[in-house]
Amino acid sequence: MRVAVLGGGGFIGNRTVEMLHLGGRAEVRPIVRHVAGMALASRFALDCRVADARDGDALARAFAGCDVVVHAVAGDPGVILGTLAPAFQAARHAGVRRIVYLSTASVHGQSPAPGTDEASPLRDDQPIEYNNAKVRAERRLGELRSEGGVELVILRPGIVLGPRSSWVGRFADALLAGKACLVDRGRGVCNAIYVDNLVHAIELASTAPVDGEAFLVADEEPLTWADVYRPVAVALGFALDDLPEAVVPALDGGRPRAELLRRSRAARRLARLLPKPVRAKLAAALGVAPHTAAADDPWMQPAPRPPVVTQEMALLYGCAHRLPFAKATRMLGYRPIVSFAEASERTVAWLAFAGYRPREATTR
Amino acid sequence: MPPSASTPPLGVALVGCGAVARLYHAPALAALAAEGTAEVRALLDPDASHVAELRALFPAAAHAERLADLAGLGVGLAIVASPPSFHAAQTRELLGAGLSVLCEKPLAPTVAEAQSIVEAARTARGVVAAGLFRRFFPATQTIRHLLAQGVIGDVRRFDCFEGGPFTWPARSPDFFARSGFSGGVLLDIGVHVLDLLGWWWGEPLDVDYEDDAMGGIEANCRLRLTFAAGFSGEVRLSRDWALPNRWVIEGSRGRIVWEANEADRLSLGFHGSDVTIDGRLSAAGAPARTFEQSFTSQLANVVAAARGAAPLAVPADQALPSLALIERCYRGRRLMPMQWLGAEEARTARALGGPPAPA
Repeated sequence: MRVAVLGGGGFIGNRTVEMLHLGGRAEVRPIVRHVAGMALASRFALDCRVADARDGDALARAFAGCDVVVHAVAGDPGVILGTLAPAFQAARHAGVRRIVYLSTASVHGQSPAPGTDEASPLRDDQPIEYNNAKVRAERRLGELRSEGGVELVILRPGIVLGPRSSWVGRFADALLAGKACLVDRGRGVCNAIYVDNLVHAIELASTAPVDGEAFLVADEEPLTWADVYRPVAVALGFALDDLPEAVVPALDGGRPRAELLRRSRAARRLARLLPKPVRAKLAAALGVAPHTAAADDPWMQPAPRPPVVTQEMALLYGCAHRLPFAKATRMLGYRPIVSFAEASERTVAWLAFAGYRPREATTR
Repeated sequence: MPPSASTPPLGVALVGCGAVARLYHAPALAALAAEGTAEVRALLDPDASHVAELRALFPAAAHAERLADLAGLGVGLAIVASPPSFHAAQTRELLGAGLSVLCEKPLAPTVAEAQSIVEAARTARGVVAAGLFRRFFPATQTIRHLLAQGVIGDVRRFDCFEGGPFTWPARSPDFFARSGFSGGVLLDIGVHVLDLLGWWWGEPLDVDYEDDAMGGIEANCRLRLTFAAGFSGEVRLSRDWALPNRWVIEGSRGRIVWEANEADRLSLGFHGSDVTIDGRLSAAGAPARTFEQSFTSQLANVVAAARGAAPLAVPADQALPSLALIERCYRGRRLMPMQWLGAEEARTARALGGPPAPA
């Protein structure tokens, strides 16, 4: 089987290239947007191509001779929606049998309702624009498939973890920068999948006798955010339980109003004009008294400000429903191939490889 | 120093008009042109669109077709910024035509080719400078002084982490072909890093090297180097993941911390104190050179040397030790441990990523 990996320089695309090539599972052709995107694929002697995923002609040349295209292009809503028709039409022109499209579990929202599964209706009026773009992408792909010529299988992974995952890297960076935090002590459900399990699902989706179906895919174990973050924290010499609790924004988006007010320069200038007792009462009412007082007093050491998470992260951290992958098991034969414990060990090994060092020894 | 009013600007040609010429050499040339030191007379590149881009900046420059035409266009100095596999042949030809050359790094992909440049320079009228422009950073010069004067005591160890996701606007896939550039991140960034280490401490006694090439070229590598004074350290380079981009040199009395490419800043701390001197460098009361100004300074030095008005700061032969060390690394390379690979993957990786076959 010859597989073109569109977005072969990205996190999931790169691991797909690695696993299929090193595992001898397929002849792989990474496709990247710019020459610079070849850096990782060039570790191998592969037929890597440069093609913009919005350029149908370039894609058709890059897909020539391939049986399957894995669409793993990441980007903003413009990229998400702008790469579908060119890729589909190029696949049809090149005689590609199937496109495996990487969607996201976020089409169901960051905090899906209990009972959510693939049959649940999708909405494109969610507060997170990325979710809406992916919902529209799935619909558009359905339309393109109905025109015939190329089969389509959609995968909906949740939080994809593992080596080079931004979820892992960003948390490690935040730890080392003293900016890591938790929401509700990390008790929320994390609908995670280790990247190798996702690539396994991609491989199954490339050959299984299905067409026009979407599948949620996840790890075997139910996980919380604390489960996911703890191995990273321990590897870097931090205790997860010592991390501060984040300020959660109001649901109408952005930072909570009190926090925004507290950080506003104009409000702080105005506050200095108020008598001290009034200022203290106002600050207490906003729940920010110690910080405002410290910031205004030249005799006091500045107190650390509580971290604030985005609305998207607040929704993710507040998730209470574990998304099922029973449909993928039933129709693709999907079972995770790497346990969470093993995945954590491999991820920690990658942290060392990437240059992250425990806090005691760090020079960052 | 700007030339006297009677000294005409030195004619310069850009040989290779790709990203490094556009992003670095062109602004430096524009700065020297503004002060009347140099003038771009010719542009040479097989891709006419590259030439056209630079002609927008230097409209008086001719589009040269051949190196042999340059002397006739009033060119006294050629900046060789072509792909590295062309460096040696082009530089030798330019020297043969009586021109001086600033050759981009790496001077050549192999020591033998670089040595041929050095040999040609011995009998040439012109000079050849290696484009190791980090030596013009006030920070790297200051670190050299601090080390030479023992400010942090005896060096105990050092760590150098540099790199990040590859974003250099390379235009040809040949940049990543094993037969093209002939190397990955070690030859690309490592040539600067190893040059600085050698400039500060001389040639290392021992080097242990591993990278992640598995049939292609490396995106990551790690070196452990031991120097004659008895200390060792680690260099970790990447085109893959954002590293701290930081150098730390630990001494018996203190430490120097330098953020790579911060040409005009460094930090100095002493054991027993939690206070760090963390600041911007200055020279003669003015801010020290920035990254960009260091590039201009490199070019100004080569222009002055081509006129016989100043010694070359980085003559070509000074690029040989770092290239020799890189060759030594590639000869003795091992595959980096990548413990996230599955068992079957790891077996294939070892088979693909073993030491290269002898040439």
